[in-house]
Amino acid sequence: MKFSDETLMAYLEGSLDETQCRAIEAAVEVDAELERRMMALDPFALVVQGVFEGLPAQAPQVDLPEAIVPVPSNSGSPLRLLAVAASVAIVAVSATFWATRPAELGWAQQAALYQSLYVPETISSLDSSPESLDDQFAMAEEQLGRSLNRDALEALPGLDLKRAQILSFKGKPLIQVVFADEQGRPFAFCVIRQGPAAPNKEVKQAVLSGLATAIWAQDGYGYMLLGSDAQTDLGGELDVLTQTFSG
Amino acid sequence: MSSEQAVRGAVQTHSKRVWRFALALSGAPDVADDLVQATCLRALERHHQVTSHERLDSWLMTICRSIWLNEVRSRSVRRAQALSVTPEADLVAIGPDSETNIFASEVFTQVMHLPEAQRETVMLVFVEGYSYREAAALLEVPIGTIMSRLSNARRKLKAVMQHDAADVAQRSGK
Repeated sequence: MKFSDETLMAYLEGSLDETQCRAIEAAVEVDAELERRMMALDPFALVVQGVFEGLPAQAPQVDLPEAIVPVPSNSGSPLRLLAVAASVAIVAVSATFWATRPAELGWAQQAALYQSLYVPETISSLDSSPESLDDQFAMAEEQLGRSLNRDALEALPGLDLKRAQILSFKGKPLIQVVFADEQGRPFAFCVIRQGPAAPNKEVKQAVLSGLATAIWAQDGYGYMLLGSDAQTDLGGELDVLTQTFSG
Repeated sequence: MSSEQAVRGAVQTHSKRVWRFALALSGAPDVADDLVQATCLRALERHHQVTSHERLDSWLMTICRSIWLNEVRSRSVRRAQALSVTPEADLVAIGPDSETNIFASEVFTQVMHLPEAQRETVMLVFVEGYSYREAAALLEVPIGTIMSRLSNARRKLKAVMQHDAADVAQRSGK
């Protein structure tokens, strides 16, 4: 079926009846030339394009990392792989962070975002031998400038201590201690050194990035407990840890 | 040219159109800024997936929309609704005279008030010039859906445009 320019224009202006509209649409679906004619006639497209084509006035600011350095393929040690995995996680976190920041995220929100990427497989293969944990805790405690009370952490009922990892938030050392719960799901306790000027804060519970969390601050340190999902009951651990880290 | 170089080039070339699409998706300029940044980072991470250096613009649009739908949308909807009462006319480029400006800002507001599905379609077809079938592929809907979204959008835009459409088209020399 042939359609005149007048008919196509009538379609674009919305003055054809339902049957005629369906006939034209069915024809356009199989006829790229008809589609091209219709697009060229569309008065709305011209006007809307005129309004939007000057936006944004300047190209948006895009920060891209420098050229990516390939990782040598012959260095497949577990530590190296862990470093790669961590850097991928950080890129993912920063991309999500950029995409979602309605306002600047605080350390707790970012830690929750990071923790929410953990799955049981993330922690199932970690080396949690006493020797590894000795090293990790020594380094973490040195960064943090205080004890992490490993004995108390290891004694938490139902949780298996997997790793202490050194992270950083705006130049402040942030330690993430990861556990596996009885189902092997990740559970975490984070401590950040905020400095002596930081105010104390009462325990506040909230669901962040889909995880049940409890956050408090005491004597220059911020603390955060992160459950394995939004429903995790943090009560038992919270009682022990607020006691243990009360100053 | 390596795929990484191609992606970096595409990001430079197409950042404005990705931003416009992000604006159409989110309805909020600041969310659009962040979506563009996230899109470009994601594209660079995935440069090895690029098999052809042609139409990297559609590829960027697809990434942008996927980040919007999967990672940002639920958190931004409330803010986008708040925007609907805020005049965003200052975003519109300054035209040669005030009458044109008023008209442009009315069109801008009308487009931004369209439902999201119509808005993204209008942006791809009317502004970026994608064909109906290209837009259908990008948005993963049948071509008939594209046409009916555009018809619905035209109906809503008609009220603003019927006075001045011819006038503005003439002035802008198109």
